[in-house]
Amino acid sequence: MLSNLLRRLRGPLLVLFALVALDLAVLATARTWDRHSPDDYAARVETCRQRRPDAVFVGGSVVSEGIVPREIVGANWQGEPLASAYALGLPGGTTSEFFHAVKAACQPPPRLLVYGITASDLNDSRHEPHGPASLMTFGDAVEWAKTRPDSRAWVLRQYALARASRVSSLWQYRHGIRMWAALQFDESTESAREAKELRRYSDALRGEDGYAPAAGFVEQRYDHVKATNGTLPPFAFLNKYKTGSHRTYLHKLICWAGDNAVSLVLVDMPVTEDLEKQYPEAFAEYRKLLAEEEAAHGLLVIRAHRDIVGITDAGFADTIHLNGVGATVLSRWLKAKLDEIGRPATLDDNRVRAQAGGDRP
Amino acid sequence: MSVGSKVFFLFLIVVLLGYHLLRGRPAKYTFLLAASWAFYAICSPYYLWVLLLLTVVDFVVAKKIDAETDERRRKRWLVVSVVSNLGLLFAFKYTAFVWDSGSALVTLFGGDVPPRAWDILLPLGISFHTFQGISYTVDVYRRQIRAVTNLRDYALFVAFFPQMAAGPIVRAVEFLPQMVTPPVPSAEQIRDGIFLFARGLFKKLVIADQLDQLFVSAVFNDPAAFSPVACRWAVLAWAVQIYCDFSGYTDIALGTAKWFGFELPANFHLPYLATSITDFWRRWHLSLSTWLRDYLYFPLGGSRGSTGRTYFNLMAIFVLCGLWHGATWAWLVYGVYNGVLMSVHRAMGSPGRLRSSAAWRMLAWTATFAQLLLGLILIRMTTWADGGTMLAAICGVTDGVRGVPAVVPLLVLLGMAGHGWELLCERLPALKADWEPLRVANAAVSLAAVVVFSPGVGKTFLYIQF
Repeated sequence: MLSNLLRRLRGPLLVLFALVALDLAVLATARTWDRHSPDDYAARVETCRQRRPDAVFVGGSVVSEGIVPREIVGANWQGEPLASAYALGLPGGTTSEFFHAVKAACQPPPRLLVYGITASDLNDSRHEPHGPASLMTFGDAVEWAKTRPDSRAWVLRQYALARASRVSSLWQYRHGIRMWAALQFDESTESAREAKELRRYSDALRGEDGYAPAAGFVEQRYDHVKATNGTLPPFAFLNKYKTGSHRTYLHKLICWAGDNAVSLVLVDMPVTEDLEKQYPEAFAEYRKLLAEEEAAHGLLVIRAHRDIVGITDAGFADTIHLNGVGATVLSRWLKAKLDEIGRPATLDDNRVRAQAGGDRP
Repeated sequence: MSVGSKVFFLFLIVVLLGYHLLRGRPAKYTFLLAASWAFYAICSPYYLWVLLLLTVVDFVVAKKIDAETDERRRKRWLVVSVVSNLGLLFAFKYTAFVWDSGSALVTLFGGDVPPRAWDILLPLGISFHTFQGISYTVDVYRRQIRAVTNLRDYALFVAFFPQMAAGPIVRAVEFLPQMVTPPVPSAEQIRDGIFLFARGLFKKLVIADQLDQLFVSAVFNDPAAFSPVACRWAVLAWAVQIYCDFSGYTDIALGTAKWFGFELPANFHLPYLATSITDFWRRWHLSLSTWLRDYLYFPLGGSRGSTGRTYFNLMAIFVLCGLWHGATWAWLVYGVYNGVLMSVHRAMGSPGRLRSSAAWRMLAWTATFAQLLLGLILIRMTTWADGGTMLAAICGVTDGVRGVPAVVPLLVLLGMAGHGWELLCERLPALKADWEPLRVANAAVSLAAVVVFSPGVGKTFLYIQF
C-alpha cells in the first residue's frame, strides 16, 4: 500500500526534493542575499557581539542616526580610555527591543552601556514586530506573553511567523535575491537604486562602529525642509502616548547592567523644539518618568538638550533625527561629557549632580 | 480569496485532504460541492443565490425537456433556461452600460440626466457558469445528452471551484461522464497537475503581475509621459501579460482539477503563433470560441446561408464575444474589430500554394500579430486619445529597448519562450518534452521563482472580472 502511495505521489515528491535542493543552495549563499537586504536588527546584534566593544550605544533611530561612535572612542571612562565603541541603533525599536538586543549582543558585557533614550521608546501604543522576529528567544516571547497580556497574541504571532518564515531560505531571503537580481539586470531602475542603498547600509551595519545613517538623512537639514514644506508632518510614534509595559523593560535593562557590572548611562536625546511643541503632553510624561527612574534607581542621566549641546534646526534632518553635522556635534559633546563624568574620583559626585538635575537645561 | 493567494492554498489543501479521505461517491461529491459553494460564498458573498437559482432552474428545465416529447413544449422549456441565464447575466453585467449609453444619448439631444450614483457588483464567474448552464440545457434539448437526475451532481458540474471563476467553460458532455464513478487521480494526473499548477502560478505571479506592476499599468495610464519605444514595449508586455494571466489561471484550474481526478478541456494552443485572425480564435480561449460557434454561429446558420448572411453571423458572434468580455464601448469596438477582420480574412480566401511557403507564413504571422496588438490596445487604453498615442507608438520603427527597464524584455521573452518551446516539442518529438527530470526541474524552478519574485499583494485574474 505504501509503495503504491509512493508511486502515485512520485511527481510531487520529486518536485519537493528539487525545491529542497534549491532551498539549500540559497542557504549556502545566504551571505550574498543578506548583504542585499539585511535584517538590520540581527546584523547589528551579530556585529556587536563579534566586535566586543568597550562601549555600546543602544537606542532607536535617534541613536542610529545621531551617534557616531568613532567620535566618542578615546573618552576616559573610569580611568581608562574607551578603546572601541559600537552603535546598536535599532530604527523603530522600543525599550523592549533594546533590552533584548543588549542581552543578545553584549556578550561579554561592555564596560559602558549608553542608552540614547527618547519619548517614543516608551510609548505603549506601539509595538515593533521586528523585535519578536529578530531579537527574542522563545523564553523572551513566553515571558512577554506572561507579563503583558494585552499584547500576548501579538507577540506570539510575530514570533511564530518569523520562525515559520525561516523554514525556507527561499522565503527568508526572497527580498535579498530580488535586490541582487535588480542590480544584475539594470542599474538604472528604482529597484536597483534601492538595492544599492541596501547594500551600502548592510556594509555600514557590519562596518567598524555601526554608524549607518539613512542616505537621505546625512545631508538633509530640517530648517530647509521646514522652509520648503511649511507644515509639520505628524510623528506617528508619539501618537496615543501612554507608558507602562515598555517601562518594565527599562527596569530589566537596569537589572541586567547591575548583574553584569556594566556602567549604564542614559542620554536623553535631543529633539527639535517643533516636536516638543507638537506633543507637549507626551514629552511631559516622558520626562516625568525619566526623573522618577533617575530618583528610584540612581541612574546616571545625561540630558543632551539641543540648547546645551548647541544644535539648532540646521543640525536635524527632520523633527527627531540628527543629520550628519548634528550627529558629529552631539557625539563630540557626549565624548567630553563622558570624559567629565567618567573620572573615577568624580563619578559618584556626577551621579549625585545628575540626579539633582544639574544637567537639566 | 483569490486563486493563487495564501488562503487559496490552505483552502485547497483542506479540500483535497477531505475529498480523498472520504469514502464513497455521495460523501465525496457532497463535500466537494459544499467546498465549491463555500469558495463562491467567500469570493462573492452577496451572490451565492444567483448560482443556486440558476443551478435549480437549469436542472429542472433539463429534466422537463428530457421528459417532454412535444417539440414546442421542449422549446418553451429551453427558452426558460436561456432567458433565465441571459436575463441575470444582462441584469448584472449590462444594466449600467445601457443606462450610461442611454444617458449619453439623452444628453446629446439636449436632455439632462444626473450622473449615475449606483453601481452593480458583478457576481463571481457569472459569464462562465451561465454559458455552462445554457450549453447543458441546449445539449439536452438537442438530445446529445440525457438530463442529470441528481441535483448534487449537476450542481457540482456548475460550481466546481477550480474553473468556476474564470473557466474554461466546460460542457456537460465533457464533465458529467467523468462523475459516474468518483475519479481517482492517477500518478500521471497528480504529476501533471503539479507541473501545470507550477506553470500557472509562474505565468500569473512572476510574469503577468510583474509586467503589470513594473511597466504596463504605468505606461497605459499615461502614455504621453513615455517615449514611443516604451509605449511599444508596453503594448508587447500587455500582450504577454494578458496571455500569461489568463492561461496561467487555466493551467491552475486544469492542474487543480487533475488532483480531484477530473480532466478539463484545454483553453489555449500557442495563440501568438497564429498566422491569421481565424487561426487566432482557434487557439485563444478555445472553450469560449467553440461555445460561440456551437451555440450561436451554427444555430444562426453559420456559413451555409448566403454570403451576406455568413458575414452577418460572423459579425454577430464577434460583437457578442466582445460584449461577453466587458460591458464597455471599448469591448464592443473590440468585437466589431475582430468581426471585420474575420470577414475580411474570409473574403480574401485562401492564398493557395503561397500558404505553404515560409515567407508567406512569416508575413502572415507578422500581419496577424500586428492586428492582435491593435485589438489589445483597444481593450487596455484608458481614453481614446491615449489609445491613439499607443497606436502611433507601435506604428513606429523599432528602436531597441532604450529607456525600457531590462527586466521588461526579459519577462516578455520568458512569456513567449513557452510558445517557442511547445512549438519545438511539437515539431521535434525527439526533444522529449515530457522527460521527467526536465519537467521536475522546471516545476521546482517555477515554484522557487514564485516564492521569490511574486509581488507581495496578488492581483485578481483579469478574466475573473469578465
